[in-house]
Amino acid sequence: MSETEAVAAEVETMLALVRERYGERLDAEQLAAVRTSIEAIVQASRALRAVRLTNADEPAQPFAAYRADP
Amino acid sequence: MAEEVVFQPVRALAEGVRTRRLSPVRLAEIFLDRLERLGPRYNAVVTVTRDRAMEQARRAEAEIAAGRYRGPLHGIPYGAKDLLATSGGIPTTWGAAPFKDRVLDFDATVILKLEAAGAVLCAKLAMVELAGGMGYRQPNAAFTGPGVNPWNPDAWSGGSSSGSGSAVAAGLVPFAIGSETWGSILSPAGNCGVTGLRPTYGRVSRHGAMALCWTLDKLGPLALTADDSGLVLQAIAGRDPADPTTAERAYRYPGPAGHRFRFGVLRGITEGCEPEVRDNFARSLEVLKGLGTVDEVALPDLPYDDITRTIVFAEAASAFEDLIEGGGIAGLTAPEDRYTPYARDAILAKDYVKALRLRGVMAREADRVLASLDALVAPGRSTVAAMLGGEVRSAIRGTARDVMGAVGNGAGLPGVAVPNGFGARGLPTSLQLVGRAWEENRVLAAACAYQSVTDWHTRHPDAV
Repeated sequence: MSETEAVAAEVETMLALVRERYGERLDAEQLAAVRTSIEAIVQASRALRAVRLTNADEPAQPFAAYRADP
Repeated sequence: MAEEVVFQPVRALAEGVRTRRLSPVRLAEIFLDRLERLGPRYNAVVTVTRDRAMEQARRAEAEIAAGRYRGPLHGIPYGAKDLLATSGGIPTTWGAAPFKDRVLDFDATVILKLEAAGAVLCAKLAMVELAGGMGYRQPNAAFTGPGVNPWNPDAWSGGSSSGSGSAVAAGLVPFAIGSETWGSILSPAGNCGVTGLRPTYGRVSRHGAMALCWTLDKLGPLALTADDSGLVLQAIAGRDPADPTTAERAYRYPGPAGHRFRFGVLRGITEGCEPEVRDNFARSLEVLKGLGTVDEVALPDLPYDDITRTIVFAEAASAFEDLIEGGGIAGLTAPEDRYTPYARDAILAKDYVKALRLRGVMAREADRVLASLDALVAPGRSTVAAMLGGEVRSAIRGTARDVMGAVGNGAGLPGVAVPNGFGARGLPTSLQLVGRAWEENRVLAAACAYQSVTDWHTRHPDAV
């Protein structure tokens, strides 16, 4: 499968999810616009996945264990 | 008296108030009048908070007369982007029709801090609906109408802090508070020819501010000068137990500080810029060379825009889950905001986490480059403001590239936009300076130095 075909397949899979969840709210023109947005999301996700990280590269996020009293 | 105070920097107004040459009550009356009279021209205002302003102004006047001067914001009018919670029956609309009548019963921490500093809240200012997080493609994306640019009535004032930019540019308030997730302070500042400061993430409490993206949202000032921005930041910065992401680091603005600066420019940063933007940036670099050194620097090749965009989309989809899944977005103004958010369901949790992991790499690389610099500099935006009937190009949507914005916001770095000339259709262009985390004073010092040898920040639209 070519890169283009792989992207298209991913887009169709994601679009099917959106159509399943919200299809009744979307007309054909809106669905086409959503497809365009999904294409951008899929391209971005592929760009992210193309970068190799090590097991030690943690998410930059601020979670801390919580307790109400000090 | 209006001629004496409109378009005067906060620092100058403050000296007049401190010495009792200027009356806070009279100041409030002047700016309230301008907000009511001129605000509609620019679609800049959601609510003029006259009652609260006059009460605060009278209190300031009495305190100062009694010798209890609180500092440089005491008695100074301001406006707040309408995503900051306000009590007392003042609506907090987030710029969105579904919330246009919503009244909250508490004040955002920033509103409280400004009240403690003695500032006078005169207006809740217009903004792009939900701070632009739904994917708008046009200026007409707020129930108050498109933000109109004071420099050209056919052009947009910017987004998403559109009213904060235009109100300062039109002399409706001496300073305003805006918010930035990705570009929403620096863009309207640049579009409107004023100064905007994006503080380090965690410098200013977000408590009581609408959440678009918890790990990217920042609050900061728009003002006439970088110096004024520092004065405002000092009043709003600080640890807040109500916002656990705020840092313990104390902040004090020392005022303009002159020394030799070290500036960096990312290779190829003007690619895709309009010719006038590129020319004005080149002239700015010549000015900066008179203030220090300017060297070309490079960041490693990473998908910076994709990292920050994925984080914005995923967190915004969650922050507005009820509105999106419940169909409430159908009530938004921009047609595309009514359906574009549905696409965000296509973001996988794994990809969001990957973006957060890459964000760590991005932050370390940016810090490595910035460690030897006072600021990275670049054009504030690649174009002048969009026309009201035109399409808004946006890095968030992927229709424009914005490495400086992706890195600056993704890594939570402070940045300042200052006017640096004019481009197409008589619209302002801007220079942005981005610094190392927690180094607002270094970028402010550099911006002050730039403004000390240029006069772009002293120019104001003719029509106002």
